[in-house]
Amino acid sequence: MIPRYQRILFWSLVGGIFLMGAFLIHGCQQAHKRLTALNDATPIAAPTTASTQDVTLYLANDADGSIAPDQQQIALPQDPTLRARALLEHLLGEYSLPTSTHVLQSGPAVDDVFFLPLPITTPAPTNTLSATTGLPQQQKAAPAHTAQSAGEMAVVNLHGSFVDNHPSGIEVEDLTLLSIIGTLHAAFPQLTEVRFLVDGQAHDTLAGHADLRRAYPAVDTTTAPTTPQPEAAPIPQETTKP
Amino acid sequence: MTPPRKQSVVAVLLALSSFASIAQTSSQPQAPPPTPPSQPAPIVPRPTRTLILIDPAHGGPDSGAHLPNDLLEKDITLAFNNRLRALLSGSNFAVISTRTSDPAAAFTTDQRAEIANHGHPAVCLILHATSSGSGIHLFTSTLTPPEHPTHILHWDTAQAASVPDSRLISNQIGVALLQAKLPVILGQASVPPLDNLICPAIAIELAPLGNTTATPTRVSDPDYQQRVAQAIVAALIQWRSKNAGSGATNTGAAQ
Repeated sequence: MIPRYQRILFWSLVGGIFLMGAFLIHGCQQAHKRLTALNDATPIAAPTTASTQDVTLYLANDADGSIAPDQQQIALPQDPTLRARALLEHLLGEYSLPTSTHVLQSGPAVDDVFFLPLPITTPAPTNTLSATTGLPQQQKAAPAHTAQSAGEMAVVNLHGSFVDNHPSGIEVEDLTLLSIIGTLHAAFPQLTEVRFLVDGQAHDTLAGHADLRRAYPAVDTTTAPTTPQPEAAPIPQETTKP
Repeated sequence: MTPPRKQSVVAVLLALSSFASIAQTSSQPQAPPPTPPSQPAPIVPRPTRTLILIDPAHGGPDSGAHLPNDLLEKDITLAFNNRLRALLSGSNFAVISTRTSDPAAAFTTDQRAEIANHGHPAVCLILHATSSGSGIHLFTSTLTPPEHPTHILHWDTAQAASVPDSRLISNQIGVALLQAKLPVILGQASVPPLDNLICPAIAIELAPLGNTTATPTRVSDPDYQQRVAQAIVAALIQWRSKNAGSGATNTGAAQ
């Protein structure tokens, strides 16, 4: 005859095993969901046969704070916005390689890239009627953007997880932005400005430091390492930072 | 008494009082004319107390970068602020900090800029720390100095007029750090509240010190912080003495 306390202990242990199993399965499901969210494999364009072409990637180096152009051959879609997104994904993918000099975590980085002609104008109101004719007034749209009068502005919509996992620091954040701006400028010379959003919303900083509220001029962001010059007047402008 | 007689009495009394006053002034001894001093009084040089503003970035719920070993950027910047503040005060600088502790609700970057702009400091130093890169990173604003400076300053570009001075001081600090055998990178970046400050402003970012023989020196290392702080103070002393010679030192409104 098995004592009562041993039976209680046995069934308690069995219950504990089931509870732990349930907890383990739940943890696995949560981890799977998290990884699925990170590795968004949604195709960004219909599969087409595209020949490879030369592109210039502006690669950052944390060690000396420099940015150097690098020619690579990659296949890109023809549509400009898809092309820009694929180009930036390729650029930021370079930073997740083990040999990267500007280490960023792998995963989706850019949700969308939009191109807007400048100057941006506000749409004419359609609900105002003319006092004389009774017809909708043909009002001239007022420019809402006065900084640049020509060219295009690229709006880069960054993925929230990319921003959350980006290393924090003035130099490292600034280099990421300059790398993106330089690469876009080389591939799309008509661009004059670049703005950044995060998950479709305006964001104060990239990871606590680099300002994302402002528009950056789209220029060549090649940056040479700058060291202090003894008895120099203002530091020589070796860089073309925006 | 009839009115004409009354008037004549008043006139006599007035005449008598005026005579009395004239007699009184003539009887007073004349003050000796000021004689030129034979020897000029020795001029005691009054030490100038240049006002420096230190802004240890982040604080409160904004912890900044998460550094290795569970360190937070806000704690590193505060420790470095205390170290730099002590050295600057010892070198006869007047120092104000935007925070000297870790408050529950820290100032926003706009509020920090307001504090700095109200104080009219000679130099603003914004302290940061990171685990990326190596050595000390000195950043000034990316703004371009205006061709025609005006008295009206826009909030977003308030730093523009001070950019040449900012780069000059940044270069001087960089030279002092190099002399202390510390690696330095100079650059320009758009970091709040750098562009909103009217004083010459430099963002100083501490990164781990690369070491070829051992593991990198961490930003929390007291010796590393002390060396950086000493180099910064040496550069500011040199800058102050140079400006005092040219008579262009902005000693700040808090003097």
